[in-house]
Amino acid sequence: MDFSVVSPQNLSQLRNAIRTLQRKPYRIGAGYTDLLMELRKSDTSDLTVINLAQINDNGLSHIKSLVNHVHIGAMVTATSICMNDDIARRFPTLQQAAANLASTQIRNVATIGGNLCTASPSGDMACAIVALKAHCVLMNVDGKKRVVPVVDFFTGPRTTCLKKNEFLYKIILPRNHKQTQHIHSGFIKVGTRNAMECSVVSLAYHIQVEESGYVIDAGIGIGASAPTIRFAEKAALNLIGKNMQNFTDENRNEFAKKVLTYASPISDVRATSWYRKEVLYNISKSVLV
Amino acid sequence: MAKKNLKIIGTPVPKHDAKIRVTGEAVYGHDIKLPGMLYGAILRTEHPHATFTIDVSAAKKLPGVICVITADDVDTNNISYKRDHPILKKEEVNCIRDEIAAVAAETKEIAEKALKLIKVKYKIKKGIYEPLDALKSGAPLINKFSSGKFEHKNIAEKFYYEHGNIEEQRKKSMVVVKRTFTLPRMTHACLGTSNITAHYNKTTGKLLLYSSTQVPFLYQRDMAHALKMNPSDIRIIQPVIGGGFGSKLDMYPFEPICALLSIKTGRPVQILYSRHEEFLASPTRQPMTIEIEAGADKDGNFTFRDVNVIKDNGAYTSWGATTPFVIMQAFSSLYTLPACRFSATAIYTNNVFAGSFRGYGNPQATFALERVIDLLADKLGMDKAQIRIKNANRPGETTGQGLFFETCGHQDCLQTVIKKAGKKRKSENNRYRRGMGYASMIHVGGGAKIYRSDGCGTTIKIDPYGYCTIISGSNEIGQGSETVLAMIAAEELGISLDKIKVINTDTDIKPWDVGVHASRTSFVAGNSLLGAIRILKEKLNLKAGELLQEKSTSFNYEDGFIKTKSKQIALDKVVREMHFTLPNELAIASYFYEPSSQFQDKGFKGNVSGTYAFASQAIEVEVDTYTGNVRVLTVHVAQDVGKVLNPLLLDGQIHGGVLQGVGYALTEELIFKEGYLLNPNFHNYKLLTAADTPDIHFYPVETHDKQGPYGAKGVGEAPLIPTAAAIANAVCDALQIEMLELPITPERVLVALKNKNNK
Ligand SMILES: Cc1cc2nc3c(=O)[nH]c(=O)nc-3n(C[C@H](O)[C@H](O)[C@H](O)COP(=O)(O)OP(=O)(O)OC[C@H]3O[C@@H](n4cnc5c(N)ncnc54)[C@H](O)[C@@H]3O)c2cc1C
Repeated sequence: MDFSVVSPQNLSQLRNAIRTLQRKPYRIGAGYTDLLMELRKSDTSDLTVINLAQINDNGLSHIKSLVNHVHIGAMVTATSICMNDDIARRFPTLQQAAANLASTQIRNVATIGGNLCTASPSGDMACAIVALKAHCVLMNVDGKKRVVPVVDFFTGPRTTCLKKNEFLYKIILPRNHKQTQHIHSGFIKVGTRNAMECSVVSLAYHIQVEESGYVIDAGIGIGASAPTIRFAEKAALNLIGKNMQNFTDENRNEFAKKVLTYASPISDVRATSWYRKEVLYNISKSVLV
Repeated sequence: MAKKNLKIIGTPVPKHDAKIRVTGEAVYGHDIKLPGMLYGAILRTEHPHATFTIDVSAAKKLPGVICVITADDVDTNNISYKRDHPILKKEEVNCIRDEIAAVAAETKEIAEKALKLIKVKYKIKKGIYEPLDALKSGAPLINKFSSGKFEHKNIAEKFYYEHGNIEEQRKKSMVVVKRTFTLPRMTHACLGTSNITAHYNKTTGKLLLYSSTQVPFLYQRDMAHALKMNPSDIRIIQPVIGGGFGSKLDMYPFEPICALLSIKTGRPVQILYSRHEEFLASPTRQPMTIEIEAGADKDGNFTFRDVNVIKDNGAYTSWGATTPFVIMQAFSSLYTLPACRFSATAIYTNNVFAGSFRGYGNPQATFALERVIDLLADKLGMDKAQIRIKNANRPGETTGQGLFFETCGHQDCLQTVIKKAGKKRKSENNRYRRGMGYASMIHVGGGAKIYRSDGCGTTIKIDPYGYCTIISGSNEIGQGSETVLAMIAAEELGISLDKIKVINTDTDIKPWDVGVHASRTSFVAGNSLLGAIRILKEKLNLKAGELLQEKSTSFNYEDGFIKTKSKQIALDKVVREMHFTLPNELAIASYFYEPSSQFQDKGFKGNVSGTYAFASQAIEVEVDTYTGNVRVLTVHVAQDVGKVLNPLLLDGQIHGGVLQGVGYALTEELIFKEGYLLNPNFHNYKLLTAADTPDIHFYPVETHDKQGPYGAKGVGEAPLIPTAAAIANAVCDALQIEMLELPITPERVLVALKNKNNK
């Protein structure tokens, strides 16, 4: 692996760096936990890596709690997400996804931006972000921002809607509704090991419930079940207006069936498509306790 | 013999080299840098079976490349105990590991670049990847160097054993169970990848190897044979090893290749495996299918076992082929058994070959046997704990195979874990199901007489400052044997541990030993050291008596002094007087210990080990029926260790072994398809991590075997042997399903559940 590295110190240097490399192969590096593994497999002799790690910019590297939104900079690490109170209390699905990612060492460097931009169908934080119906803020070399819903951010396995002159700047989470009294939110990761495990199937759920127990909003993301992380819209909609306290087995099966319509998993060394579907169905049922 | 009131033995002395290990100062093979050293790299085939032509001219021209070799450039003998393995393959490749060229260059990067410049044209051939396919008529000859001494050309090795009258015992049986089990390829996954540094001196004609072999003296001989050299012209130094587990029991092609590169260039050459290479090219646990039929009479007494093992030998032979030595012991002798018939066949295929791996076939055998015991109990309607206790081995027993159990803690082990584990906790709900499983094991505990000698030599000396140096033939591969040896010397000589050094890494210095395997080192090297100490003490006693004007020759060695009831003299003073006054003698002694064990006869009968270790485990699991995940909740381990020499190190062996066993049971498997390896990385080879460690409760059982040092038996392999069996039994208990295959992956669990529900 022999590539050159540039380390911009602020956003305008970053934009410049990207601008100058428009006609050359370049990659953006954040925590490098995906990138290095990828570069190891390819010829990198002409490549420049634009290193985000030294940029001093709050928008890029902080979590900011606002009245209607929470902004998470692309460079925020899984560890920082785990330790953030606002996220732990109001968006448990994201907190759990971050807390179950890899290992302490990886979490200390792995960024949420990297998790999204790598666009792996099994990305854990990305799956939670989908369930939370977040938006991605992309910035181009002129400093122009473009806001896209996270489901549209992913265009295929390992591809995103990022243009060559853009980078991911931050993620915006909508706050829970005012009427929400209770959130039923979590992240289910299926794999064999308790650490260093890539999801064989994952499911992120974020269900907002009002005082009387009725569901007023729901987000369901599924990972490792399709070419991209999917938002299981019909399953989520199906919950709205139902009462959390009296789900029947029939409700659970109906919900799980709806989730499954979004799954078109592959068979690989880790599991067969049959297994992934079977398990997705089962864990979907388990969401509605 | 060894003393009675022990001060050091039995105490939790931390590992001798713990500090340099945790500070990163330990010198592993990867840390070695010699002046002028080149970096070697190996080109392996891209296809498991093909003919090929090779052109290395472009690689040779790359600046920084010093040497490129192919089979045409070397004059060597085949390796492996069957001599069926050419070091570099010529014109034809037979498995995905095959080495076809090697490069030595000024840097690692240049070496790797050079590999890419080597042009190879393959003509892919249809390989054979199922052992039984290789026995079909018309199957091509896979290994053309094999001797062909069996009835089919693709058979690499065969074993046959029997005792008792199977037919008679079959008639006595009220229940008979027959099953076929399939065992996977598990890899050692040593954290330190395979490595070697070779330094051939053209002037002296001598070869120096920094190698992580577990068997330096056999390796020296094998290397000499491969390179057509004199064994004594090869010196082997063993740097600190980042994991052995049996993987370094044989010599593999990369080692003579590195030596050849050094011989050709006259410069030191180093080869370090990448992680990918480690997964691909280091040996594995022997995969096999075990067909077993077993019976029990109406009271639950075991009657007979009829076992047929088919092993995938891969394209060449390594120690995996000889695992039936151990496998048959489990079938013939674990639990008292009137009749046993056992056969095993290793068949060449175009797969990779297996080597030795902690347990040496025993985890495979124990899995099959203990599963069948549960099935027999089910058929009889008998309690699974009781049927085991009833049939457990007893002290004084000589088994059908001729193994003699002077001491035997099998019953104790079983009773302990059964009692400690208690009843399984109730399953909380329909989704999570609890199960309890039991399994035992027998393993050699006092070496194994396979080679001409199972012995170990020791030289011990005390210097004029009262420090002691133990020069042991044995090897340290992380198991802590150096610490135990130092403890023995401290105990017997009254020298504090910080004044004891262990030298055990240089074949030019250390006396002969057969190697570290078969859980033998503390037993054999410990006895050897005790023998040397006895001789040394005779000399010291004489001098001390003279100096103290004491007729008695019974002295106590304590706190650096040699004492009688009323007098004492400093040990270092005695040594100085020995050295510097007439008749000027060294405080040094040597001893060679050979265990009392016997060679087995042609029918594999005989008391092959100095003593035998027993262990039982009771394991509780919880299975998630939604995902198929098995969570191991608690593992109760009782092991007949003879005597606890160091509880801390023993615990380390138990914990490490159990976790390795859990991996074998649930997650670890190298997955091959048509000879190609699909998961050569930790991402998809599911080695467990600290986060997966279950609750492990360990109860040592001390039987004080008089053969062992202070009564101790070998402990290293045992903790992993029954684990997979007990887990499989627990999973089957939880779900009322059958598991005929390891690892018990979540997917296999769900498939089994589905099949059960569809019935
Ligand atoms: C051992 C191990 C275990 C792992 N376990 C998990 C796991 O359990 N769950 C999981 O989801 N992932 C896991 N991963 C994958 C990885 O850690 C995560 O995807 C991580 O979040 C990536 O973040 P990073 O900062 O390291 O990204 P990098 O590797 O730096 O970058 C990843 C990709 O995103 C691009 N990129 C990064 N930041 C930006 C940006 N701001 N704008 C545009 N492009 C950008 C890079 O160019 C690259 O293509 C694991 C990885 C390893 C090595």
